[in-house]
Amino acid sequence: MGLRTFVGGVHPAPSKGRTGDSPVVTAPLPQKVVIPLAQGGAPCDPLVKVGDKVQVGQKIGESQAFVSAPVHASISGNVTAIEPVACPNGRTSLAVVIESDGNDIWLNTTGGSSLDAMSPADIKGLVREAGLVGMGGAMFPTHVKISPPPGKSFDAVIINGAECEPYLTCDQRLLVEETESIVLGLKAWLKVTGAKKGYIGIEDNKREAIAAIKAAVTEEKDIEVVPLMTKFPQGSEKQLIASILGREVPSGGLPVDAGALVQNVGTTYALSQAITAGKPLVERVVTVTGTPLKKPLNIRTRIGTLFSDLLSFCELDGEIGKLISGGPMMGIAQTRADVPVLKGTSGILVLSPQEARPLPERACIRCGRCVDACPIGLIPTLLDQYCRHEMWEQATQGHVADCIECGSCAYVCPSKRHLVPALRLGKAEVMAQRRRKK
Amino acid sequence: MADKNILLSEGELLVSSSPHIRAEETVDWLMWQVVIALLPAAISSVYFFGFRSLFLMVLGVATAVLTEAAVEKALGKEITIKDGSAAVTGLLLAFNVPANAPWWLVVLGAIFAIAVVKQTFGGLGYNFVNPALTARAFLLAAWPQYLAGNFPLPLDTITGATPLAILDGTAAGTLPSYLDLFLGNVGGVLGETSALALLVGGLYLIWQKVIDWRTPVAFIGTVAVLSWAFGGNGGLFTGDPLYHVLAGGLMLGAFFMATDYVTSPVTPKGRLGFGVGCGIITVLIRLWGGYPEGVSYSILLMNLLVPFLERWTVPRVYGTKSAQA
Amino acid sequence: MKKLWNIFFNGIINENPTLRLVIGMCAPLAVTTTVANGFWMGVAVIFVLTASNILISALRKIVPDQIRIPIFVVVIATFTTVADLSLKAIQPDIHAKLGVFVPLIVVNCIILARAEAFASKNNVLDSAVDGMGMAIGFTLALILLATIREVLGNGTWWGIRVLPAGFEPAIVMILPPGAFVCLGYLLGGLNLLTGKTGEN
Repeated sequence: MGLRTFVGGVHPAPSKGRTGDSPVVTAPLPQKVVIPLAQGGAPCDPLVKVGDKVQVGQKIGESQAFVSAPVHASISGNVTAIEPVACPNGRTSLAVVIESDGNDIWLNTTGGSSLDAMSPADIKGLVREAGLVGMGGAMFPTHVKISPPPGKSFDAVIINGAECEPYLTCDQRLLVEETESIVLGLKAWLKVTGAKKGYIGIEDNKREAIAAIKAAVTEEKDIEVVPLMTKFPQGSEKQLIASILGREVPSGGLPVDAGALVQNVGTTYALSQAITAGKPLVERVVTVTGTPLKKPLNIRTRIGTLFSDLLSFCELDGEIGKLISGGPMMGIAQTRADVPVLKGTSGILVLSPQEARPLPERACIRCGRCVDACPIGLIPTLLDQYCRHEMWEQATQGHVADCIECGSCAYVCPSKRHLVPALRLGKAEVMAQRRRKK
Repeated sequence: MADKNILLSEGELLVSSSPHIRAEETVDWLMWQVVIALLPAAISSVYFFGFRSLFLMVLGVATAVLTEAAVEKALGKEITIKDGSAAVTGLLLAFNVPANAPWWLVVLGAIFAIAVVKQTFGGLGYNFVNPALTARAFLLAAWPQYLAGNFPLPLDTITGATPLAILDGTAAGTLPSYLDLFLGNVGGVLGETSALALLVGGLYLIWQKVIDWRTPVAFIGTVAVLSWAFGGNGGLFTGDPLYHVLAGGLMLGAFFMATDYVTSPVTPKGRLGFGVGCGIITVLIRLWGGYPEGVSYSILLMNLLVPFLERWTVPRVYGTKSAQA
Repeated sequence: MKKLWNIFFNGIINENPTLRLVIGMCAPLAVTTTVANGFWMGVAVIFVLTASNILISALRKIVPDQIRIPIFVVVIATFTTVADLSLKAIQPDIHAKLGVFVPLIVVNCIILARAEAFASKNNVLDSAVDGMGMAIGFTLALILLATIREVLGNGTWWGIRVLPAGFEPAIVMILPPGAFVCLGYLLGGLNLLTGKTGEN
């Protein structure tokens, strides 16, 4: 039987060997955390001031805006500063800096409950209170995502266990180690959305994860485990929906227009933690890997821990060429190592100077590889020319706004053209023009 | 976490846009793969036509590479001879002349291909027609006495008609057997005669994913079907498709010239249409045109249609009903 | 005097009708297979352009604006007929080779363009010099193009063999494709020499 998949895509080397089989370890408690107040949607207003004592799980930022998730203290101690900091997603945000008191005192919150005892409205409330956001990187507030616009509804929930980014293994480890929690989380998504069927899509190179989940859901007739072809960007929302449901999200639309809710493994785990233990989102699993690290690991770490702390923990041994937040295909190169782990930081990848050396850009030889690779069906090489020459009308007609910036085109390009920045520029311009017209 | 010495200051880290990893294929690798794939045909050419064939091939490659370097130097551009594209052009050009062609024909052809067809329009990636084929067309128009008419027969010093010319009725002679056609034991230009060697090279390129199977399959398939349908003297469907496929420059053209990246469509359906179009024009010229062979002109004509093919064959965009307008 | 020189040279280099303005291209492409053809074609144009510029300039004050084009054409046609018949008398062979291209000077846009753009707005002397300059520029371009094509395509210049007998002429150069390739490089070359390459 052929594995389910989508059209296009590329096959980068998975490079997951060094961390794929190593169990999640818990990092020592950091001495200091930096918790940005803008982590998903509108930035929060600080609820604490310098000098305040805080406990783990205490809400330290909240916003009145609907599209915003609150943030919580991830260690106990004193607030020493509230100042703007650089975030690994390229933005600058006001952040609460907490110095640890070393005691790790948890705020006694709701204390936990059971899924059966909760109504869909309870769950939705909990999702917001716990500060859940999309933990794959985008950090879109989850309570917004599970609230369909009027007239629309979800009929399927997909847990995104594809983890198609090379190097990253945090979701894979959660699926293996926290199988029960993930299944519980999926049931909660089904309950809150009223969807009939739940799917867990996992790339077929993660055999252990597939076996673990399959064993856990043998009794569940509403939940199906779907092994997927190992191909990038299998874990992109649009591609996952096409692979599993055979539906497409309309151009310019949202997944809800295809009746599908896609949730990250990490977010699902965080939801089950919130339900059973009453824990808000204060920690996550981060894959810290790369050739300059002696001990690459999947680390359970507190939100706000500095990248540099985690790199020391993994015994950095060698020069860093490039420091990336996220995976190598879509991650963001960092200018500095003292940036904090955010709720959406799935990985920290260190490339050696040799691996990171910039490749000279050559003229396009029109080989057509980017056209074959594009999962959206665009013609990246033409869009590249349009965007570089500011031919916005042609770029719009070429659907540049549908680009998901997955980088497949640039990955396969033999001329090593910088297709992604060019298309990103075009996308931004076309979107801006669209807004001006409205 | 004792040591904090890895706190890097700004500027020490390399920052660039994603993706941070790239596939190993480079332009250089692709072009040298084509050179490798052309070697079987080159070897068979030396076997059948002798060492003069080797001399002409070396001359073609050397002239093309030197011309590329000279033009780029004169224009103050980066010298790109090691990407192999000039070598491919020079070799393909030599493949397109007969073994008894004068040496200067190859030299002038290679200079024309690189200096006029390729570099004038901006170098690799910008030429809109195939350099080697355009140079061949130029040579044919300039010195027809060397490129039309009788070609040296293999393993021999006499010249004779090409199989297609005999088939066409423009030359007298007996048609060689299928086996001779397949192995390359027939008259013709250097690189086109051995269907076997070209097939080996072509399949190697498809296996290495250097070229798309669509173009050669559509090209050869169209020629086979149309020559079967219209190529016979006894009415419809009495033609000899196998003969038409094995004879002449079809194998060389379909695997190595019509698949030239720069001058063929970037869309998969466009490549299919490109192959079909080449096939139709080839058969038109072979059966009803003034020349016995039409592969090179068919590819050149289709080269000109590439922008239209690309416009007509845009892929369907995810989340939309049909192809974009 | 300097002004007249400027007008004269304007047509030869800066606004050379063939190599710079790229107008009236049918004759340059068609008749430049030999230098002799190009030269006599140029002579015919020099006569027609200069004479029609003079006459149109002289008439410019009395020509009603609405019907100026028909009047220009009548003037040009008159001189073209004179040129055609004279050429037939002086050089019957060349006239036979040039064929339709001499009568076609009537509709050559260089001549109408100069009448409209220059002669109808300037005095007789300036117009005469402008017509002469333009036509000489045209003639020089034709001779240049024909020189390259005849030498490479036939090995001769004005019928005289200039390349050794061993040279095998590239027939393509005296075929239409040769004209286009040659013209393209001449246009590019002039731009290169006068530094007008790149973004304008």
